[in-house]
Amino acid sequence: MKISNKQFAEALYELTIGLNASDLDIVLKNFVGLLAKKHKIKQTNNIIAEFETILKKKQGIVELEVTSARDLDSEIIKKIKESFGKEVFVQEKIDKNLIGGIRVKIEDKILDASVKTQLTNLKKSLTI
Amino acid sequence: MSTNQVIEELKKHISAFQKTVEVEEVGTVIEVGDGIARMSGLTSCQSQEMLEFPGGIMGVALNLEEETVGAMILGEYEKIKEGDTVKRTGRILSVPVGEKVIGRVVNALGQAIDGKGDIVTKEFYPIEKTAPGVMSRQPVGVPVQTGIKAIDAMIPIGRGQRELIIGDRQTGKTAIAIDAIINQKGQNMKCIYVAIGQKESKVARIVAKLEENGAMEYTTVVVAGASDPAAMSFIAPYAGVTMAEYFADKGEDVLIVYDDLTKQAWAYREISLLLRRPPGREAYPGDVFYLHSRLLERACNLNKEHGGGSITALPIIETQASDVTAYIPTNVISITDGQIFLETDLFFKGIRPAVNVGISVSRVGGAAQTKPMKKVSGKIKLALAQYRELEAFAQFASDLDVETKKQLDRGARVVELMKQPQYSPMHVEDQVASIFAVDNGYFDDVVVTDILKTEEKFLDFVRGSHQSLLEKISKGEWDDSIIADLKGVCEEFKK
Repeated sequence: MKISNKQFAEALYELTIGLNASDLDIVLKNFVGLLAKKHKIKQTNNIIAEFETILKKKQGIVELEVTSARDLDSEIIKKIKESFGKEVFVQEKIDKNLIGGIRVKIEDKILDASVKTQLTNLKKSLTI
Repeated sequence: MSTNQVIEELKKHISAFQKTVEVEEVGTVIEVGDGIARMSGLTSCQSQEMLEFPGGIMGVALNLEEETVGAMILGEYEKIKEGDTVKRTGRILSVPVGEKVIGRVVNALGQAIDGKGDIVTKEFYPIEKTAPGVMSRQPVGVPVQTGIKAIDAMIPIGRGQRELIIGDRQTGKTAIAIDAIINQKGQNMKCIYVAIGQKESKVARIVAKLEENGAMEYTTVVVAGASDPAAMSFIAPYAGVTMAEYFADKGEDVLIVYDDLTKQAWAYREISLLLRRPPGREAYPGDVFYLHSRLLERACNLNKEHGGGSITALPIIETQASDVTAYIPTNVISITDGQIFLETDLFFKGIRPAVNVGISVSRVGGAAQTKPMKKVSGKIKLALAQYRELEAFAQFASDLDVETKKQLDRGARVVELMKQPQYSPMHVEDQVASIFAVDNGYFDDVVVTDILKTEEKFLDFVRGSHQSLLEKISKGEWDDSIIADLKGVCEEFKK
């Protein structure tokens, strides 16, 4: 059966949770051995990426991507952080096309409160 | 409306506008090419849901897998890059339906491509819909007059029937369908012609012909051209039948032609292979039967409680070297209620339409024939069958008895009578009159090659002097007095 990157990452997470440094070395060595045997060495980067998402999920870390038309001041960023959970990492992006407002991306969802989208919606409501 | 009023109206609209924070579910493109894309994310994506790629390009989710979603792209996939964000729309692929689409040439998404402006309709129907169930249907009972003698007399088609037109390339498959559409003028029928994977030049020629014959007034042409992506060819028949369903729901009768389903199956095979679905016989995916059965099952004859509308389907299949045992032809033959076989040999012998009456059948259409047609066509079917049997035999024998000779002569005349040029559909009463005349031996002394000319003269004569008789026949009346009258007319013509 084909094993997906996600399954590798999950296995790695479950094996390494709460291990001390010396045990970790052995587990990692064996894991790399397994990857080689299953011809998955090429997928290492993707597996690491999957591992990171699993880790963040389990530890309750939320990653946000906040896009705005202008630089946001720290006060607003702080407010956004507070509304999404305890440990929040924010990546900021500037996109002049938004005109105003913000757009927050969290995992597979986008919360859109940009002026541009509002205007598009207004246009739609006027044309029909 | 004055300018001020417009401004006031706009102001009202704008002030009433509620701003909302939109929640969008998105995914990321991980692979794209050959008209399909594979995406991660989109966790709650539905099957057949529309997806929006950057730049307003739309896609349809087909494969929902553990980690990824496979979608076909409806548009220019070259512009989509790896890493692009894909949005869910929450809508199933829909096409505009309504009176406005009649007389137009549209693409598989229902957008106008005839340069006559956008099609604005109130309603949109999803292209995939379950066919009407048993309780909403009724048996076929009203004929579709194709105007083609060979078909109306011997392979009759009823409203709500699915009659396959099958044959090699260049045997006149499209010609039959187009003639049938042209003949629907004034018969209370809407027509939809779906061109799948065909040359744009051929479609342009067909549209011009339909316009010339005034058939575009009640016809919609749905085009997925040869240069359009495979996804368009795949969805075009569904788009067409969806437009037809709107009229059927309103109790109207619709004739839909799929030209041709072989190319749709090819397009579906292409998409399926690119999406890495396992190939089966002839590399078609396992559900290629369902592809056609769910489409043709939507042809129906609804009962009175459901409006009494109907959708008659004329699917076309192109065979390779008359091989009807290939996968797609056998599938579609088994789904439809009969088939019209066209043959290259007959075509080059000059028998056009090149219908092989011997192996063509209509499983339900007989019930839909009008009474006069049923009465006169029964005998010529027999005459033709006997003729075919004797024809091969007669090649070897020089001395034939009188009876055999008579049957051969009659058969040759019937075959000649069934010839008909393109774009010249005939009224059912004219067909009945000329078949009656041949059947009762009134044309036996005419040279075989002159049959069609004599038929024309005969019909002109009948129309000129006995119009009322034809009217009676067209109303479906048939009794001894009409038979006697017809005989009288024939004798009068012979003088």
